Amino acid sequence: MSISKYPLVVISHARLLDSEELHTIILKNGIVESIKPQLNSEQATVADVTTPQFIDAKGQIAVPGMCDLYARLREPGLTRKGSIASESYAALSAGFTRVLCSPDTQPAIDSVATVQLIKQRAEMAQGAQIYPIAALTVGLAGEQLSELATLQSAGCPAASQADYPLGNTNVLYSAMEYAASFSMPLFMTARDAQLGAAGCAHAGAIATRLGLPEIPVAAETVALARLLELCRETSCRLHISRVSSARALRMIDAAKQAALPVTCDVGLHHLFFTDNHLAGYDSNFHSEVPFRSTADRAALRQGVIDGVIDAICTDHAPHEHDASLAPFPSTESGLAAYRWSTPLILQLTDVLGFTLKQVFEKLSTAPKRIIDGNASSGLTVGETAEFFLLSDSPLEPVNVVLESAGTNHPLSIHSPADIGLQPLHGKVTHIFLQNRHHTI
Amino acid sequence: MSLTDPQFNALGELHHFIDLDGLDKSILTQILDTAEGFTGVNDRTIKKVPLLRGKTVANLFFENSTRTRTAFELAATRLSADILNVDLVTSSTTKGESLLDTLRVLEALQCDMFIVRHGDSGAAHFIARHVSPSINIINGGDGQHAHPTQGMLDMFTIRRHKGDFSNLCVVIIGDIRHSRVARSDISALVKLGAGEIRVVGPRTLIPAEVESLGVKIYPSIDKALIGADVIMGLRLQKERMQSATVPSSGEFYRTYGLSPERLALAKPDALIMHPGPTNRGVEIAGSVADGKQSVILEQVTYGIAVRMAIMSIIMGNATNLRRAQS
Repeated sequence: MSISKYPLVVISHARLLDSEELHTIILKNGIVESIKPQLNSEQATVADVTTPQFIDAKGQIAVPGMCDLYARLREPGLTRKGSIASESYAALSAGFTRVLCSPDTQPAIDSVATVQLIKQRAEMAQGAQIYPIAALTVGLAGEQLSELATLQSAGCPAASQADYPLGNTNVLYSAMEYAASFSMPLFMTARDAQLGAAGCAHAGAIATRLGLPEIPVAAETVALARLLELCRETSCRLHISRVSSARALRMIDAAKQAALPVTCDVGLHHLFFTDNHLAGYDSNFHSEVPFRSTADRAALRQGVIDGVIDAICTDHAPHEHDASLAPFPSTESGLAAYRWSTPLILQLTDVLGFTLKQVFEKLSTAPKRIIDGNASSGLTVGETAEFFLLSDSPLEPVNVVLESAGTNHPLSIHSPADIGLQPLHGKVTHIFLQNRHHTI
Repeated sequence: MSLTDPQFNALGELHHFIDLDGLDKSILTQILDTAEGFTGVNDRTIKKVPLLRGKTVANLFFENSTRTRTAFELAATRLSADILNVDLVTSSTTKGESLLDTLRVLEALQCDMFIVRHGDSGAAHFIARHVSPSINIINGGDGQHAHPTQGMLDMFTIRRHKGDFSNLCVVIIGDIRHSRVARSDISALVKLGAGEIRVVGPRTLIPAEVESLGVKIYPSIDKALIGADVIMGLRLQKERMQSATVPSSGEFYRTYGLSPERLALAKPDALIMHPGPTNRGVEIAGSVADGKQSVILEQVTYGIAVRMAIMSIIMGNATNLRRAQS
């Protein structure tokens, strides 16, 4: 990947998500100057400007930059797994211009110093824009509230308990009331502190056959019921991160019908994989939020189609090689998403029966709206540039750019057909973010 | 969708013995038939055959075990192998060495076969995938997943007494959820075509969607025992009482214990089996465990012949593979 900073960039022959017509996009000092249907005389109109950069985007689509609502960058403290530089670059190469990073670093993101460290490193890395999610409790220990107002002022758009338990309902109630005082949204994953806590697989026929410790659906729904009732009580903005089951989805739907301030997202891989994929004890499928039954996956897909699920996140979790070298229950959970996310996202058109525009709506506009009601698309005249060019050409796994530190992903060892996927295609070629232009 | 079964070698023969799930009836029958031949060895004055002479078998037990380890040791000795017992419970793994590093060190000692017991389900699969191809793995129990040699010795015991499996009604009582023995027994019984397999226990000890394994759930032991040909008890571990799974051993015995009165509900010639060690007065009455229908000690004895059969088949296949590759 290379970076250039031209004051003027002219992109010709680009398709847009909502138009089959080819367009010319002109960027001036990082601002989208114009988006116009392609004219033969286009180059003449800018010929008087000195040193423009021309990009012929023939066969490519211009897509607003995506916003990932949940990813782990592993820094500070876990740099054997990944770093802000490696992961923010990996995110950007996959078309994510904004990333909300999980607070489960070491130390957790519970102080302004850690927030500043992350922001500085992210700026130096010149990858995706990083928004640190504040740890809801100090050290994610589930006891004492973090300085949420201060962390919000320091740039945290939301607070979360990550995958750490919060058993004390008093603390949760307080946290939600307190966060509501500052209109700070909480990103919460519904998982009971005790039920299924020792589990590593969805409680179903596969876990029974493999003898894997189980995570019942009730581990999600019991926790979700508590969150939704406290949301009703406190009016705290609640975002349910990484929904996994049909029953949880029905509860969220009912809460939305009752006009509670609730939104939710689903992990990208949960729209593809089920507990059946665990059959060979393949630790590449070991996800903290478990892959559940085929019926659950169908419900999650329908939830995205119906709009009950507002957004799709990657749940990116890079690991060092050794983290997967153990029997399944002892491996560290999580899939490193960015290396394979583009072709998977493109397959969502088939999986969901969506147009590309509808798919990217769930990954760009919708998630941006969850953290910022006034967020711009990144590909609108007069606004700061924040978009990428996407080539739909077939992708050979060997050609996949290694940007993320993690290789813990099923596609690292399986062919797409082996794990129920279509042949892979699609690659991000250029990214325009403010006045930076990245070529991959 | 899953990784390929690591149990088979390039010739399609059994290379590791990990899980009965992936094996078909013919292999199970071959093991049982071979074991028949070995029962004679155990009755001889010189209890040895030279099939594994010059081979080294290592017992790698990451979990405590006396019975299974001893049975494997005897089986290997009677096949004339050298046996190495590695105490891993108090060894390097507790010092933080990874399982794979431990494995590499033991590989370097140039053993031919590893008998592995580990507390994680899937551990034997993991080891089979990462071990050097010159080493054969036998699963001596992995987590809650499988204990295939126990499964086979149970089948051997049943076949010796009952002959055919097709008309048998087998009842498995107790902690199915946490039992690798139950899973391997169910798997073998299904493969060998058992007429009916019933599982009995409180819901806390029955795993999710257990019917998918090919069994029927009976909440009442009294109903389950009617017409039973084989009754298999399972060990109820003390930690089940601490984890709120079962209130007390007394209540368990009252509701699910195999008492003489309950035994009377089964067929008069029903076999009583248990993988041991038994908790008398918890899952089984002492008089039933010691009674004339009990084959619990026979299971232990047959365990040697069955393990000899499995080890010799695997080692024979390894020789075939080496010949084919040279």
